[in-house]
Amino acid sequence: MQLTGETKFFIGLIIATFLIIGIGVAVYSRPEPVLKREELITFASHTRGNIEAQNYLVEFSDYQCPACGTFKPLVDQIVEKYKDKLLFAYRNFPLAQHEFAEKAAETAEAAGEQGKYWEMHDYLFANQANFSDEVFQEGAKKIGLDMDKFNESLKSGKFKSLIQDDISYGTTHGVNSTPTFFLNGKKLSLFNQSDLETEVAKAIGE
Amino acid sequence: MGNEVETSRKLNRIIFILSIFGLILAIYVLQSFLRQSSIVCLNSGCETVRKSSFSYIFGIPVPAFGLVGYAMLAILTFLRTTSKDIRLLQWIRRIAIFGVIFVSWFTFTEIFVIKAVCTWCAVSTVNMFAIFYLSLKSYNIENYATHG
Repeated sequence: MQLTGETKFFIGLIIATFLIIGIGVAVYSRPEPVLKREELITFASHTRGNIEAQNYLVEFSDYQCPACGTFKPLVDQIVEKYKDKLLFAYRNFPLAQHEFAEKAAETAEAAGEQGKYWEMHDYLFANQANFSDEVFQEGAKKIGLDMDKFNESLKSGKFKSLIQDDISYGTTHGVNSTPTFFLNGKKLSLFNQSDLETEVAKAIGE
Repeated sequence: MGNEVETSRKLNRIIFILSIFGLILAIYVLQSFLRQSSIVCLNSGCETVRKSSFSYIFGIPVPAFGLVGYAMLAILTFLRTTSKDIRLLQWIRRIAIFGVIFVSWFTFTEIFVIKAVCTWCAVSTVNMFAIFYLSLKSYNIENYATHG
């Protein structure tokens, strides 16, 4: 076979194609690192479900992010459905562009101090469209917190570093949008909402 | 004459590149069929189409036909760089004709039977029509050059 200039050109095209595909496959097939359970769910994380469960789902979320609000009923449904087989943890990832996101996270932590984290969590998501300092105060009253203690805790800013720890852990482990879910230590790539339940059901084996 | 050789060479290059592109599409979609994994798609159509029994002909997934077709087109256009044999172009044209009939039939099936359209299949359909058009054009030029 005589190698004309054109043939060489075609061979070049083939090699270039293989290179591009090779690089593409290598980049996309790199396995996602599996994060350790004790790192994802620390003693400070708030959890729901069965603490002994083998499967664990961790959400990095922002109380003021609309997408997180849309996911909320779905997450509740999953947590309720698999309450014996799944441990769910919520971690703070307030985004800087949301004015009240960090304050909301602190409010939830302050309620958690009085054992009412999830009550406040539900209240915050239900009212995420009208956040203001008054709304936070109303929520605290509504769920029956000791208001003096609540306000004192908020004023001291003692939860700021806790929240910052969540953010820096998330940032270094691939959280770049909210909500981001980790199922059994692996970051989930969800194309649509229903994929979340599909993934959980698959992991649990149902 | 020189001009026609140049045009013919350019057409051959384009057909080759389009064939490689079609080949990559077919490989990607076929691996999803074989591994039963979901296809990254612009709409939700890919999954519906993938799960339909109409996407298998005698048990062979439709993208496998695309894979063979595009592979043959790529090989033939490659061979044309080393040989001037008109039969190579005749075969390219035959495969392209079969290709457009096949993609038209499948697009029809998608729209009227499966009632979902998979983005990659649509891209492949356009791609095959482009190859068909270019092969006809190429064939006319060569015919003219040999007989005219």
